[in-house]
Amino acid sequence: MNPTSRRLALLALAVLPALTAGCVSPGHDLYLFGSLNPKGRVAGARDTALNGVYRRADDGSFQHLGINYPAMLAGSFDPRDSRVFYVATINGVLCTRDGGRTWRIGTSWDMTEPKGVMVDPNAPDTIYAALPDGLGISTDRGQTWTRRENGLPARGKYTQVVTVDRTKAGRVLAGCETGIYLTENAAQSWRAVLTTKETVNDIQQSPHDPKFWLAATQSAGVLASRDGGLTWQRIPGLSAEHAHYNIAFDPTHPQRIALGGWTYGLLTSEDGGATWTDRNAGLPAKHRVWRTAIDPDTGRLYAAVESEALYISDDFGRTWQNGGMTGARIQSFAFVPKAAK
Amino acid sequence: MSKFSALFTLAALLVTTSVAQPSFSGPVPVPPADARPDVLRRAYLQRVNETLDWYQNAITPAKPLTREQILVKLVRKQGDAQVSQRVLELMAEPQSGDMFWMFPWTAVSFAGRDQLSPEARAAIRDAWRTYFPMRGDTENHWTMYYASLFLMSEMYPDEPGDTWFTGKSSAENLAEAREYLIHWLDLSTTIGQGEFNPTHYIGEYAIPMLYLATWAKDPAMRQRGRMKLDWLMADLAANTLNGVLRGPNARTDDTSVIERWNALASYFSWTMFGNTPPPSGYGGWGIYFAIVAENYELPEVIRRIAVDRGSDFVQRDLKRSRRRWRYSDVEMAPICKTNYLRRDYAVGSYQGGLSDPIQAHVWDVTWAVPDPRGVHNTIFSAHPLSSAQVMQTYFTELPDAMIDGLSSQGKPSYDVPDKILGCSPYEKVFQDLDTVIALYAIPEGVRFPHINGFFSRDLVNVTEDKSGWIFAQGGNTYLAYRPLAGYEWQHLLGYRQLPSQGGGYRWERVDHGDKGDKLLHSPHRHNGTIVQAASASEFASFDAFRAAINALPLKFSLAPVPSVTMQTLRGKRVVFTYGEAPVVDGKPVDYAQWKLFEGPHLNAEKGSGILTITHGQLSRVLDFNTLTITDQVTQ
Repeated sequence: MNPTSRRLALLALAVLPALTAGCVSPGHDLYLFGSLNPKGRVAGARDTALNGVYRRADDGSFQHLGINYPAMLAGSFDPRDSRVFYVATINGVLCTRDGGRTWRIGTSWDMTEPKGVMVDPNAPDTIYAALPDGLGISTDRGQTWTRRENGLPARGKYTQVVTVDRTKAGRVLAGCETGIYLTENAAQSWRAVLTTKETVNDIQQSPHDPKFWLAATQSAGVLASRDGGLTWQRIPGLSAEHAHYNIAFDPTHPQRIALGGWTYGLLTSEDGGATWTDRNAGLPAKHRVWRTAIDPDTGRLYAAVESEALYISDDFGRTWQNGGMTGARIQSFAFVPKAAK
Repeated sequence: MSKFSALFTLAALLVTTSVAQPSFSGPVPVPPADARPDVLRRAYLQRVNETLDWYQNAITPAKPLTREQILVKLVRKQGDAQVSQRVLELMAEPQSGDMFWMFPWTAVSFAGRDQLSPEARAAIRDAWRTYFPMRGDTENHWTMYYASLFLMSEMYPDEPGDTWFTGKSSAENLAEAREYLIHWLDLSTTIGQGEFNPTHYIGEYAIPMLYLATWAKDPAMRQRGRMKLDWLMADLAANTLNGVLRGPNARTDDTSVIERWNALASYFSWTMFGNTPPPSGYGGWGIYFAIVAENYELPEVIRRIAVDRGSDFVQRDLKRSRRRWRYSDVEMAPICKTNYLRRDYAVGSYQGGLSDPIQAHVWDVTWAVPDPRGVHNTIFSAHPLSSAQVMQTYFTELPDAMIDGLSSQGKPSYDVPDKILGCSPYEKVFQDLDTVIALYAIPEGVRFPHINGFFSRDLVNVTEDKSGWIFAQGGNTYLAYRPLAGYEWQHLLGYRQLPSQGGGYRWERVDHGDKGDKLLHSPHRHNGTIVQAASASEFASFDAFRAAINALPLKFSLAPVPSVTMQTLRGKRVVFTYGEAPVVDGKPVDYAQWKLFEGPHLNAEKGSGILTITHGQLSRVLDFNTLTITDQVTQ
């Protein structure tokens, strides 16, 4: 490692000692997917940072894991063995079976730039990938991939996110450029359950009520479904003028929800989405929140502020502390049960 | 988002060397009058060797060998222990560069396979396990990635997945690379190349094709590489005037769009045709072609197309837009190109609309100059589109960060109001010979609701006529530019690159004052530009040209949409209304009938995969269906 990369790696690992006390989740490992130097990075650039997957260590710092790769966007873990996980990257869907030591690009040239990937928790040999030209599925633990797009439109199937219903194998919601599509037969067929003019950026299922789903969109605001994703209603009080990027439910508190985005920063609700509060005080002035997440063990709120740092709050956004990962773009978080080995 | 190569960074590094670049700084080359094959071949190899010499002559004991210098020593069979040692040193460092890493080290592997030490070869091979390059998101990225992966998998067959970064075996890598390369060749030889006529990225296609032609074990892939290289060079030859690429480009940049010579394409013209100087540092990537350029023999028919401008000709080509991921009814839109080339000037365009979201150039008139270096020999107008949704159409990104990050990614002009680079959905263009009509209907609410016209500092006799025409002269070309709405003049500020601070590009704007280029700023959403060109030799005087233009019937209106009815200098009656098919002498232009290539020199039917290259008695047919090359000499 040259001096520059060593320095940047240290930056990535740097977490204020004061933050470490009590921050380690007893039940879950936290993985981050992202890069440390997103600004100005171009294909062919000299890269001096360690990018890709980071795992939170016991001291609260984040340690880089596996290959150095700047365009890892999302990850999903096999519930039977957390050493097996899948990552959406610009090269396709990568799979590791040994906790990141070795990797294989499961997809071929005909699937590129997946934006999301998710293992079906009730059928964990099956993995879904959100593709910019549709939807990919693997039924052999990521070894081979095929398309299952029956019911998706020929054009308008750019897919940003794919979310599997944790209560039923093969029930999946896909967030596309033209709305939300639902399959209940492992992608053998899809049907539209919401129509939008622009991309649906995120879909999340409540950990408390499996019928309660939220969707963040580019220009249709934030929408809620109380019937498992069959029908959607826009949440009043949340603007649709600019994009909302992602949603996080608080697994420790059924009424708490966080919402992240470039323009609006970090918004929270503590009444199940009825009212929302701006929680950007204490974040950098340009509070461009690329991703937010909530720790399932402690309720700690995370705000990944684009090219700034990872910010953490233990009072649900009322105060913030710098949590390290200086300069990073964190594309996604994954909390993985430690017992899953 | 990964859109830009390290091309210019490399070029900038290279030009800092003090070693002479004879052809860059010497007189403008003239194609030899003696066109016997041995004379031409000798001259070609001389140019290739000049490139190699420049790198070799820069070797000093005080500085470690660069990767390019290693390559030059290897191809010149000087791969001694020092070279192997330097390879080991470079391999011990962290690797970066993605597909721009892959093809150079593929070249070192092949050029050094009989000279590098076993340890050095093993170190490079192991890097293909430990370094994980991005495949990228553009046509040129994938060409480099898969051509390199193909060759390296052939070099190291029968090796398991855990020895490759892909996790796939040599056979799997080879199969995937072959499948993609054939897919891309099928696409580009039937409905056209997406990154068409690029001023710089031509290297990112030509170099991988030459490597396949040189090093592929598979004879079919070797043949494909050779044939596609012929195809690329023929496309270059038919779209150049005195070696300088003319007309529209899917991708260019803020420099090359006005100083047309200053591009990697000129390196290829110099090497192949010997009719223009090479750019500084041999274009940066030129060395990677030069190292095995002796394995390519330029077909004489292509050379003649490049150097013969004795007759005027129109070349029409079909290309395609960059792939549209979303917010579009079509995945790849057809791009219908026209280039009219004459001895004194060229007029080129495509029909307008979106091709590539950032670096496209839609139309221009460029004129010939005795020495193109430093000359801004072009005139055109453009709508400075800046749109997150358009960016999202082509890139798989969230909406906000892209425009914010473009400047630091090497694209300073994307979101500035005086931008002259790029295409717009609100621009429709029609060309007939040396008349271009560009119409604009910009909806309300669009960022930058105005038109920018580029007026070069190298124009003379710029005259604002009371008729509304602006007359000017560039070289031996008379120009008439008619803005269809009111305008004002501004200084066009240049871009100066600043040292990077913490990664990424930084820029400052530079005002060259009254001696610099000028911008015709027209702040009207419904707008238009008409340009007509003629050789000075066609008129008794500049005033006679002015009188001829002023005498032509012209009617136009801007509401409800811009519309022009006119007679061109060449006597055509043209009606062109925004959003409608142009009508010439009463007949609508049918773009659906556009052929893949149509002209006196290049001809191909859409969907055929067969290109016929013709000049005089010579012809060559490239048939990608049968992988055959057929040469013919007519009596």
